[in-house]
Amino acid sequence: MSVAELKERHMAATETVNVLRDKLKQKRLLLLDTDVAGYARSQGKTPVTFGPTDLVCCRTLQGHTGKVYSLDWTPERNRIVSASQDGRLIVWNALTSQKTHAIKLPCAWVMTCAFSPSGQSVACGGLDSVCSIFNLNSQTDRDGNLPVTRMLSGHKGYVSSCQYVPDEDSHLVTSSGDQTCVLWDITTGLRTSVFGGEFQSGHTADVLSISINGSNSRMFVSGSCDSTARLWDMRVASRAVRTFHGHEGDVNSVKFFPDGNRFGTGSADGTCRLFDIRTGHQLQVYYQPHGDNDVPPVISIAFSISGRLLFAGYTNGDCYVWDTLLAKMVLNLGSLHNSHDARISCLGLSADGSALCTGSWDTNLKIWAFGGHRRVI
Amino acid sequence: MDTKLEDGAEYSFALEYHGPPITRNLPRAVPINVDRIPVAAVVSPVTLPDKLSLPIVHPLSATEIGKKFSKECKLGSSSELLTVSPTSVISFEPGKNGVGEGSFSKELGLGSETSVSPSSVNNAFEEREPSNGPSSNSNCVMSGELSSDLESSNRDYGANGGNDLGFSSVNHDNSLEMIGGVGSSGALGFSDSFEKSMELSGSLQKRVSSDCKERLDFNESSQPDWDSSESVMSMDYPSSRVSSCKFGDGKNESSRDVRRASLVRFCDIESDDEDTDKEFSRAEPEVVIAKREPAVKVRKGACYRCLKGSRFTEKEVCIVCDAKYCSSCVLRAMGSMPEGRKCITCLGFPIDESKRGNLGKCSRLLKRLLNDLEIQQIMKAEKLCEVNQLPPEYICVNGRSLYHEELIMLQSCPNPPKKLKPGNYWYDKVSGLWGKEGNKPSQIISPHLNVGGPIKADASNGNTQVYINGREITKVELRMLKLAGVQCAGNPHFWVNEDGSYQEEGQKNTKGYIWGKAGTKLLCAVLSLPAPSKSSSPCGEQVNSVISRSFPDYFEHRAIQKLLLIGYSGSGTSTIFKQAKILYKDIAFSEDERDHIKLLIQTNVYSYIGILLEGREHFEEECLNILRKTSSSDDTELTGCDEGNVEKTPYSICPRLKSFSDWLLKIMASGALEVIFPAATREYAPLVEELCSNSAFRATYNRRSELKTLPSIASYFLERAVDILKPDYKPSDLDILYAEGVTSSNGLSCVDFSFPEPAHDDDVDSEDPHDSLLRFQLIRLQTKGFAENCKWLEMFEDVRLVIFCVSLSDYNQYVNDSDGSSVNKMVLSKKLFESVVTHPTFDQIDFLLLLNKFDLFEEMIEQVPLSQCDWFDDFHPVISRNRSNNSNRNNINNNPSLGQLAFHYTAVKFKKLYSELTGRKLYVSLVKGLEPNSVDAALKYSREILNWDEEKNNFNSSEYSVYSMDANSFSN
Repeated sequence: MSVAELKERHMAATETVNVLRDKLKQKRLLLLDTDVAGYARSQGKTPVTFGPTDLVCCRTLQGHTGKVYSLDWTPERNRIVSASQDGRLIVWNALTSQKTHAIKLPCAWVMTCAFSPSGQSVACGGLDSVCSIFNLNSQTDRDGNLPVTRMLSGHKGYVSSCQYVPDEDSHLVTSSGDQTCVLWDITTGLRTSVFGGEFQSGHTADVLSISINGSNSRMFVSGSCDSTARLWDMRVASRAVRTFHGHEGDVNSVKFFPDGNRFGTGSADGTCRLFDIRTGHQLQVYYQPHGDNDVPPVISIAFSISGRLLFAGYTNGDCYVWDTLLAKMVLNLGSLHNSHDARISCLGLSADGSALCTGSWDTNLKIWAFGGHRRVI
Repeated sequence: MDTKLEDGAEYSFALEYHGPPITRNLPRAVPINVDRIPVAAVVSPVTLPDKLSLPIVHPLSATEIGKKFSKECKLGSSSELLTVSPTSVISFEPGKNGVGEGSFSKELGLGSETSVSPSSVNNAFEEREPSNGPSSNSNCVMSGELSSDLESSNRDYGANGGNDLGFSSVNHDNSLEMIGGVGSSGALGFSDSFEKSMELSGSLQKRVSSDCKERLDFNESSQPDWDSSESVMSMDYPSSRVSSCKFGDGKNESSRDVRRASLVRFCDIESDDEDTDKEFSRAEPEVVIAKREPAVKVRKGACYRCLKGSRFTEKEVCIVCDAKYCSSCVLRAMGSMPEGRKCITCLGFPIDESKRGNLGKCSRLLKRLLNDLEIQQIMKAEKLCEVNQLPPEYICVNGRSLYHEELIMLQSCPNPPKKLKPGNYWYDKVSGLWGKEGNKPSQIISPHLNVGGPIKADASNGNTQVYINGREITKVELRMLKLAGVQCAGNPHFWVNEDGSYQEEGQKNTKGYIWGKAGTKLLCAVLSLPAPSKSSSPCGEQVNSVISRSFPDYFEHRAIQKLLLIGYSGSGTSTIFKQAKILYKDIAFSEDERDHIKLLIQTNVYSYIGILLEGREHFEEECLNILRKTSSSDDTELTGCDEGNVEKTPYSICPRLKSFSDWLLKIMASGALEVIFPAATREYAPLVEELCSNSAFRATYNRRSELKTLPSIASYFLERAVDILKPDYKPSDLDILYAEGVTSSNGLSCVDFSFPEPAHDDDVDSEDPHDSLLRFQLIRLQTKGFAENCKWLEMFEDVRLVIFCVSLSDYNQYVNDSDGSSVNKMVLSKKLFESVVTHPTFDQIDFLLLLNKFDLFEEMIEQVPLSQCDWFDDFHPVISRNRSNNSNRNNINNNPSLGQLAFHYTAVKFKKLYSELTGRKLYVSLVKGLEPNSVDAALKYSREILNWDEEKNNFNSSEYSVYSMDANSFSN
């Protein structure tokens, strides 16, 4: 009896929430008189144009034997760490395109990797539900493998994404398939705070991606299979600061805009969106209609250092360069000469913005940079 | 400068050019014709003679060039002189000179007055600077440098003059490096002209050269120069693109001259470079080496990429095609060296066997360019990557080339042959003696390795008529034997074991030990014969056990067969996983693991007790209600004596236990059981003991089937609760098998194993050496994450077989889904099965369905009909007929039991479903997860499936059915 009653009340409450959510959506639509692209166009802005040599592949990092799933740059010294299905993390010197470390992982199913702000250690996580930290300076064992410095265990699902808190080698945020994000203290190996989970206003499905605000490192945003993105304050673990609705599919990738007041999302519904964290509005949708009904999901996104360009990798192998201002697709990296042979699965801009690194299922990483010679007179 | 000129005159083509201008056609033409007959042959003869006669004169005097060629500004005079080898550039310009200056300079577009003056180059640089987002930094620097150079230098000098200036500013201290630098700029000129892109030449030079100098001090410079250094591949791209558009506006009459000139000059160089590479890599190594050599001689030590440098320039060599690259080109020609020092184009090709000795030995040049860690990685990759390994067919042991597995065995044995090179060897399996065919033994390696054929009598080409293990020994050996005191009179046939004990053939008693005396080893050393080292203890027995040996990474990677084990939660995947661990691992669970499991089991037991106590409260209330109802008449009396007369029901417990119970339930409700209990075990064990003997508790326990939340496995532990909760409890394998949650803490767990070889392992081994090296990895996945579009299932594309586990007893079990309605677990299993089977990742992978918990199922089916589950509702007819029969003669053998019938029915259901979804055949096996033999059989069945998969092509369709029948019966 009481169970049925409770069920009823739960249903009613859910209904109310949905109605309110719809109302909010309506209200938001009312308040939004234009989007970024519309305004920019009215101001007479023209999209960025790309010549054939403006973005060229200048390095090919070969060495993995499996699909590359994740990559990350160091803030300085131009090194890259990449994680691949072959069960290895490789640390690259991006300038010489040589490997400096090849770390064999205890669990081959790695999904994410990150470089620490100091460049001294790398972190990775995957299906083993553990985030492993490797100190690059530690002694290798007999077989030449780097030992795990610390295991951050506590997640009940796979670790889908991890990122160091900027300028802090000892703190790391992970997102997981157990619907939570966790802030870790690496020195103790313990969870500092858990975002979501039992608490209200947490994600209701697997969290797939996180991004920490570059200008305010206390804030981070997470994207989840519940097709929302949520903004969190690391000091307030109990509830999300804001929930961003809009996507109609899993949010596969989130990335803060360089100025820290906006963030971009890439979703399984085939769109990228730009959200404002202060107003909670959706500023712009980036969607390229395809001829057929096939809508390739977005896997990974990255912003250029100025924010004018948004790089987005799709499951069909395309990698579009969007002009964020005019919402126009200006280049398809996937179709360029000597581009990857397979799906581009991860993207990353170097800290100074001078180069883009792409990792692909064809086991290679490529570094793209400005090729010079914009216009030949 | 002078000395360099001399160098150049000695070694480079320039000698050939300016010496005999007309005849020069011939030496150059020969290599061209081999590779590119049509282009070179047709074009060159027409244009070369008249045009080239001019240029050759010019480059000789530096000053003259400076004046004459100032307009073209192709190369600074200094660079021309410095490196004589860039004939390309030199000859090129004269060509222009001769034909038409104006049109040429237009074509070149660099530094010429007509079209693009240096300032316009400058413009181009500046222009790209603001427009580019990503790479402003280095560009700024460069263009700044460039423009200042340009301004300060003579305008006529143009870009290249500036370039040289920039160069010398960096490299002025070292003339050797200077050569390298200049060489690189020359390379650019070369490649430009080859691609007919005159437009970019200047700027490209700039970029490359700046790149060169940055590379030299890469590790110090944190300045990124992405724009400046494109990889080899990408290099072609922009230049060719630009050249094509350039041709659009600048195709004057003269352009064809340029093209011809360039073709003659550069195509041959470039093309024979590339073409030989290709030919070479496809051909047999021996052939290739022969082919490769002349090319090297022709170029006399120039870098293969920039064509600069002399024999004395330090160079790195490709271990495949023998191409040599100078320090400024090596990184771009070889890229990230995933297989060691190979040109990018040579990746994936086997190495030149003559260079095997150099594998993993780093050159000074690389050490200068890269840091220690990078070099370490390259050398490691070079030594260990699969393509670089010795091809097994090159090694011939006892007259038979090796298989891959044999070579691995040979190399990974405790005492492997040193410096194994391609060739013919003999190997004495009994004593471990090893030598080159036709020679005396060179080494004693691990004995009893199953490699190659049987040893031949003439293996070492001996003529002493004394035999050791069937091999006629050499004179040196005989002398050693004699000196060691072995009786060799009468040409005996010896039988020598690995420990040196010898006996005469046909006799049983050991006559002695060859290496037993101290002097013998010294003697062996003197005669350069091998003697066993101390470490080689008799370990013949262990050699064949595969697990104890470690294999190189690449081999492991290849040989492991991955089996993915999935199933709906509660289907017993974890039991099967644990069973596999217990079955195939020497140490199934380490001490740490066991400790962990012990705590886990104890916590579980507490939670079971908690559930029982909760049930007890429930039952007590129930009883009280009944009591109240019955005694409702004397209601007043009851309330009156409430204090003293507590109602007694079979489920009441004393206050002390009651408080414990309340406390336990409170902790359970708060979810902190794991945190508190393992630590508190000692304290509460006595209480639990008391509780277990409590009648109320036992009464509840007897009604445990009514408690839905209590897992069926709980009774196994509750029966022994007192023992288990003792601090010194050690979980047995069986306990671990029964325990819940041992593997589910992680989303994924995997175990590597190989099937232990059967007792008659020698026969099997000799038949199929591959089989003994087969290793399996059982990967168990938790199914929680299998959402609609599971993100990471694609990570398992390399599994060989998916083992899908279904608990047969699920047909009678229900779970509450998110909406609160109860759903049959079999239906959920089916749903999961459908989604996994149709996942694109698995569309080529075989599935094995394990129907688990058959023991439970057999019991259950007698009480609850299979049609309990909606999916199985058409099982009725079969049941009705058999049930009446079965109840009477349940144990009669020839009639299958109801359980078996139901199993077959279920299997068919799944098979139909599978073939509807995929059109393929589903393998099904019956398993009792708790019985080791049953799991062993199921996993061996999976091995059969894999074997079958490999052999499928050898069978025709009729044999198919026979084979699969066998497999099925085997699984039962």
